[in-house]
Amino acid sequence: MSDQRPTVLLVEDEAQIRRFVGLALADEGCAAVECGSLSEARAALRLRAPDLAIVDLGLPDGSGIELVRELRGWSPAPILILSARSEEHDKIDALDAGADDYLCKPFGVGELRARVRAQLRRRPHPVGTSPQMSFGKVTVDLSLRQVTRAGEPVHLTPIEYRLLATLIAHPGQVLTQRKLLREVWGPAYVESSHYLRVYVGHLRQKLEDDPARPRHFLTETGVGYRFVA
Amino acid sequence: MNFDRFTPAQKILLGLAACCLTTLIAVPLSRLLDQANMVMLFLLTVLLVAVSLGRNAAVGAAVLSVVLFDVFFVEPRFSLAVSNLQYLVTFVVMLATALITGHLAASLKQQARAAEARERATHALYEIAGQLAGALNLQQMGEIVRHFVATELAGDALLCLGAAAPASHDHWFDASLAERAQASAAPVDDPSGRNVRYLPLAAPMAMRGVLAVRFAHAGRRPAGADLALLQALASLVAVTVERLHYVEVAQRTELEAAAERLRSSILSALSHDLRTPLTVLVGLADSLSLCAPALPAPALETALALREQAERMARLVGKLLDMARFSAGSVRLRAEWQPLEEVVGSSLKLLGAALGSERVRIDLPADLPLLRFDAVLIERVLCNLLENAARVSPAGSEIGIDARLAGDFVDIAVSDCGPGFPEAATGTGFDAFVRAQQAPGSSGTRLGLAICRAIVDAHGGRLRVDNRPDGGAVVIVSLPRGVPPVLEPEVP
Repeated sequence: MSDQRPTVLLVEDEAQIRRFVGLALADEGCAAVECGSLSEARAALRLRAPDLAIVDLGLPDGSGIELVRELRGWSPAPILILSARSEEHDKIDALDAGADDYLCKPFGVGELRARVRAQLRRRPHPVGTSPQMSFGKVTVDLSLRQVTRAGEPVHLTPIEYRLLATLIAHPGQVLTQRKLLREVWGPAYVESSHYLRVYVGHLRQKLEDDPARPRHFLTETGVGYRFVA
Repeated sequence: MNFDRFTPAQKILLGLAACCLTTLIAVPLSRLLDQANMVMLFLLTVLLVAVSLGRNAAVGAAVLSVVLFDVFFVEPRFSLAVSNLQYLVTFVVMLATALITGHLAASLKQQARAAEARERATHALYEIAGQLAGALNLQQMGEIVRHFVATELAGDALLCLGAAAPASHDHWFDASLAERAQASAAPVDDPSGRNVRYLPLAAPMAMRGVLAVRFAHAGRRPAGADLALLQALASLVAVTVERLHYVEVAQRTELEAAAERLRSSILSALSHDLRTPLTVLVGLADSLSLCAPALPAPALETALALREQAERMARLVGKLLDMARFSAGSVRLRAEWQPLEEVVGSSLKLLGAALGSERVRIDLPADLPLLRFDAVLIERVLCNLLENAARVSPAGSEIGIDARLAGDFVDIAVSDCGPGFPEAATGTGFDAFVRAQQAPGSSGTRLGLAICRAIVDAHGGRLRVDNRPDGGAVVIVSLPRGVPPVLEPEVP
């Protein structure tokens, strides 16, 4: 039985934060491996590969970004970052290094559990293997390249479609501006963030019920975008 | 032997005396020597006079030599008369030769002396250039310049740097002439009797001030070589002043950067230290309210209240840290072109249930241009304004976000149905109002307006407040429109 439980590596230097995050993970049915520093985390990684890693950026013996980079070198496990709200740059660095999502301190237990669930869900069945997916009133058929909203076909330009396909291939994951620009427009456009912003606006106009209050194409201000089904 | 200490008249007299001396020596020898050799002796005398005493003395000596030769060595002696007319040719040739040799010798001597003076001046310039390159501050530079002018030009120097005249200066310094020299970028001489010259210090980047020099010899105007030396000195000083200026700028920038680094590292350490216990509080209170089996109702209520207060505390800490960061004066923008709608949406999402997102009416025109702003900071502004609006308005009443084009700006108005601003806060009274809101006792009805203002100012925009005619307040953020980048149309 216990072998079925997903293993979560939790790297956080503050013992009380480890405690309540550990409790929340246990409630989610996960086995948490708690570490207080980079060196402890490295030792734990030698024993067992985790299914999910939760990493605090400010650790006593270095930055969590180092650990993200090392882990991403050999493991596909999703990585969730814990950081303070005002440090957009650290978040972007961590996401570019391979992290999948982040939580700003202070965060609620409910939000933490939702993020953990979302990251663990996409682990065994990566989206993209099924040709059809739907969110809200929208259905996307990736094999036919067709998008319908409430049964009506929606016309998307090639770039809009490419952007949509990139976003929905990573549900729940924060994609940085650079990454999206590189994948959709190409490396020459990584500094032209206004393209991305305008096209995300188009997608919201065409696919969201209330474009000013999006529910699926969410802005991570100063960092990038996240698609939520 | 140096004859420079004699006046020109004395030099001529010395030249004449030399001719007489030659005559005295030659007369006893006239039995032994031929007349042609006598002529040679006189020519040698003229040559020596020319070399040592200069051209005028040589001319005098040449004429006197011919006369003395005639009187003492040509028959009839002791008279200017000449028996053999052939001697007239001798006199003319002798005079011409004496004059030409004298002239050539004197010119050579003069050139040698000029070359020597030039070399000395060049050497002095090399030396002062080296000294100025090593000068560490303006004071040291002033000492070097004063010493140079005193030794090389026998004058007094006064440096007047920048636009302002020196606080204490000598009686001979005339600030208006110094100003004129700076304005015209050309040297100005004192028109009154004082022998003072004002040289502008024109450096590559800017006019750096004026070098005033008073020459010691009141009557004598400085010669061309001295003026050239002075001009070179002025150029050297100008470059030195500029170098010192930029050294100072570089040092100051470095210092500011170090202070900035220190400040931001203190703030981020503080932010970390304050947020960690708050994160623990929020998380533990949350765990308490979610634990199984569920707590009894009163305990659950306590846990929820704990969580709410901890979150409120976290928001306050965030605002205080923002305030500390912005009041330190440096808001670093990461501005990008983006639609306004997006940041409105993300602000509403960030506030979430605390605000009651459904009571917010959003009215953004479809043709609003892209604006250039730092999304994180403008999101903070909107969140602050929306939170304030929610706090002062009756529960459930409408909060509006409207945007419209207003000339070169886009006005974003956040309006509420609260009591409105006191009359004094609108228009020109806004500054004082913002300050009053920062005071500790004011319980923060409009917390964070100072932060909003700092952020909007950093964007080149304006923040102002007003009351709506039908009651309620409105805060208007004006952001400059600028010229948005062109979007290449998509090629299908």
